[in-house]
Amino acid sequence: MSVEPAVADPPRRHSRIDYWRIGWIWLALTILLVLFSIWVPTRLMGPPASPTMRAVESTMRVFSIAASPVAALVWAVAIYSLIRWKSKGRPTEDGPAVRGYGPVTITWAAVSTVLCVFLLIWGLAEMTSVTSAAEASNPLVVNVTGQQWVWTFSYPDEGNVESDQLYLPLNRPVVFHVTSKDVIHSFWVVQMGIKVDANPGVTTKTSVTPDKLGTFDVRCAELCGLRHADMETAAHVVNPADFTTWIAQNGGHT
Amino acid sequence: MTAAVISQPAQPHQPAAAGGGLMRRLNVGTAVAGGVILGLIGWLVAHSLLQDDDHGSDQVVLVTLTCWAVGFMIGIGAFNGPIGWALGRDLRREDELFLAGKDQGISRYFRFTTDHKVVGIQYLVVTMVLFALGGTLAMLIRTNLISPHSHFLNPQTYNAIVGLHGLIMIVATIIMVTGPFGNFIMPIMIGARDMAFPRLNALSLWLIVAAIPTLLSAAVLGGIPTGWVGYAPLADQAPPGMDSYSVFIIIFAVSSAVAGANITTTVLTMRARGMSWNRTPIFVYGTVASVGLAIPAFPMFMASQILLQVDRTQGGQFFVASGGGSPWLYANLFWLMGHPEVYVILIPALAALMELTPVFSRKPLFSFNAAVISIAGIVGLSVMVWAHHMYASGWAPDLNGPFMLTTEMISVPTGLLFLVILGTVWRGRVWTTVPMMATYAMLWNFIIGGVTGIYLSDVPADYALHGSMFVTAHFHYTLMGAGLTGAIGALAYWFPKMTGRMMNERAGYISFWLVQIGFNVTFMGMFAVGLAGQPRRVVTYAHLFATGNLVSTIGAYTIGIGMLVLLYAVISSWRHGDRAPANPWGGKTLEWTVPNPIPLENFEVMPVVTSDFYGYGEEPSTGADGEDAREPVHAGAPAGPAAAVVAAAPVEGEL
Ligand SMILES: [Cu+2]
Ligand SMILES: [Cu+2]
Repeated sequence: MSVEPAVADPPRRHSRIDYWRIGWIWLALTILLVLFSIWVPTRLMGPPASPTMRAVESTMRVFSIAASPVAALVWAVAIYSLIRWKSKGRPTEDGPAVRGYGPVTITWAAVSTVLCVFLLIWGLAEMTSVTSAAEASNPLVVNVTGQQWVWTFSYPDEGNVESDQLYLPLNRPVVFHVTSKDVIHSFWVVQMGIKVDANPGVTTKTSVTPDKLGTFDVRCAELCGLRHADMETAAHVVNPADFTTWIAQNGGHT
Repeated sequence: MTAAVISQPAQPHQPAAAGGGLMRRLNVGTAVAGGVILGLIGWLVAHSLLQDDDHGSDQVVLVTLTCWAVGFMIGIGAFNGPIGWALGRDLRREDELFLAGKDQGISRYFRFTTDHKVVGIQYLVVTMVLFALGGTLAMLIRTNLISPHSHFLNPQTYNAIVGLHGLIMIVATIIMVTGPFGNFIMPIMIGARDMAFPRLNALSLWLIVAAIPTLLSAAVLGGIPTGWVGYAPLADQAPPGMDSYSVFIIIFAVSSAVAGANITTTVLTMRARGMSWNRTPIFVYGTVASVGLAIPAFPMFMASQILLQVDRTQGGQFFVASGGGSPWLYANLFWLMGHPEVYVILIPALAALMELTPVFSRKPLFSFNAAVISIAGIVGLSVMVWAHHMYASGWAPDLNGPFMLTTEMISVPTGLLFLVILGTVWRGRVWTTVPMMATYAMLWNFIIGGVTGIYLSDVPADYALHGSMFVTAHFHYTLMGAGLTGAIGALAYWFPKMTGRMMNERAGYISFWLVQIGFNVTFMGMFAVGLAGQPRRVVTYAHLFATGNLVSTIGAYTIGIGMLVLLYAVISSWRHGDRAPANPWGGKTLEWTVPNPIPLENFEVMPVVTSDFYGYGEEPSTGADGEDAREPVHAGAPAGPAAAVVAAAPVEGEL
């Protein structure tokens, strides 16, 4: 067993330049990630069809931007250590006996706590705004019933008009009363960012104010048996006048 | 404590008693025979008595599968001990040694063997078999999803495969670290001669082996059409495959309770002299945290399945709304298990990486206390977050805010674990072996898994993303990208100790890159289609999602090839790899001080611990120089990495 003499003053294997280089890598990664955060997730999610979805997309953007410097720091140190501190084959000596450095640990914990509090406050504020908006005066009530494997929509205040496609007037708050005839389904209007389970025996609620004309996707988001994949239909957002016409055509009244 | 019994000096030789002869003939063959015979008897009896009832077929399946499992356990010899004690017989020294598999060569791996090292290898093989099964199913799923309407699988088969894939993988990931390494390595790491309850150890393993065929029986009983969650009331109307699911979960819950009690007791009572809590390796903490968290979690799952069986076989209506039941009750019970389970999987994998990072950085673990506190914090918080899986369920909307709070708080202790690893590699001498590369891969994947988890913790964002492929991609990034990657790192790290041979390094690197690149391709594609609105668990999908799914499938095939390379590396190296020295990596923990192959009771002389195991750079460098490392280290004459350990008087007298 060969014992190396205790080295009183080991050669310095790091210097200020390490911090600078890591800083540059971190900055570059942060910029890339922020750009990614601004463009990619919301691009994939598509144009929002309601203030709710707009809020969700801004959450995705803000959370991604907030996470960018953290992810970039972890990856920057990892990448740098693989380049600068990589040993060629089996190391022949030990690294410095650093068992921890309190200020770094405390700073790390403090920064992540601050970020966590920020996420929470953002989330709570967003939650309140999203739920309160549609509980405004005179919302349109739509009863949504899931059953294997179709959706049925009925309009109780419009003479109980029934339809297998969803029709909504533009810019009017809607409250959905959702239930199921058999197993759990999940009522999801993709581009409006709303979803709530359709449970047998109880009624759940969700609400939204559609603010974009067009045809959107209603899908079932809870595995509900054989033809779960086919349990989708269309949500048409139309001008209020067209909505009235559609109701009348189907034997209802507004 | 059976270990104490074993370590007593051998008693004078006595002729084998009558009971001993039977015990010695039992193995996995007699177990299967016992299971099949009792299962057939159960089937015949149940079939003739119960067939006409409403719930007849479910009752028959329940009885048959239960009989199979009991017969299997009788046939493997799991009840020999309790029956012997009931008859007033105790095991003699030879029986103990026989049970521990002494001098039995390969056949001890096919018996109810108590040696923790045998159990560890058995767990490793079981885990690999489960991954092979679950992985094959994943390939079938991805093949079906290669195009929007591939018609490769019909909806019924597809749903059955999705459920089986999920459940098999969850079980495989739960046992993948605490099973093989918690059993094989951990007792040596704490300086023990075996587990506290060696027979319970064998019991926990063989319960899983008995349970796996019950799960697979679902394939011929109509499948598990509910996904791995088994949500009621869909589960109430499902075919008898659902009964397979219930029986499997109930047995698995018993197994995890047994393993949890055993591992926690072992760590609490059997650590080497001098191994105070601040000298106990971080992997030991990870193992205890994992099995300790499973102790409160799995009974919830078991309870849900017992209630479900009452529903299905007796018309209980616990989860049937028209009978006054509540589907939300099932979902709550399920997630009371389901979220802690995420950390049951993750913590030991991360702890294994934290254990090996100092070895390959040649630096002490950075901020050991922060690591321990973080693990404790994660354990504490993880039992308070379950309903974040139910934001969109409509159950108790007023609780969404509080659950968002607890969920987001988990990011603080989890974040500290990143610092622990980064601080350890900082200015280290980073040796980029396969295990160390697993640490780096985890840093990459787990950041992505963690950040996407933050979106899902946010209630409004979850309303948009819940039930979509985004969620599927997210939890694969945590459980596979961090968890399985950590387990592969652990395997590559401890392979020389467990098999006595070095793992083929080239094949290891090839597999590493194939798996990691394939993984990121697969699940990036899945994030994309999830954000665009593709639901989970669908057999067909809109054309809009075609590109992302194709990308995912290509990535999945790459993972598949990478896993085959890993399988090749493991099998070929196990059979004829280079002989491993006792301490190939220059590690300092106790498992590296015992010779290869490891003797039956690990230590000739019980070690006494005088410092922790992370003292890199603090004393003359040891183990790092090849000459020394290639010599087997005898516990009685500590050398090299055992420098932190001084030999003590033989402990026989003390126990
Ligand atoms: Cu559905
Ligand atoms: Cu969770």
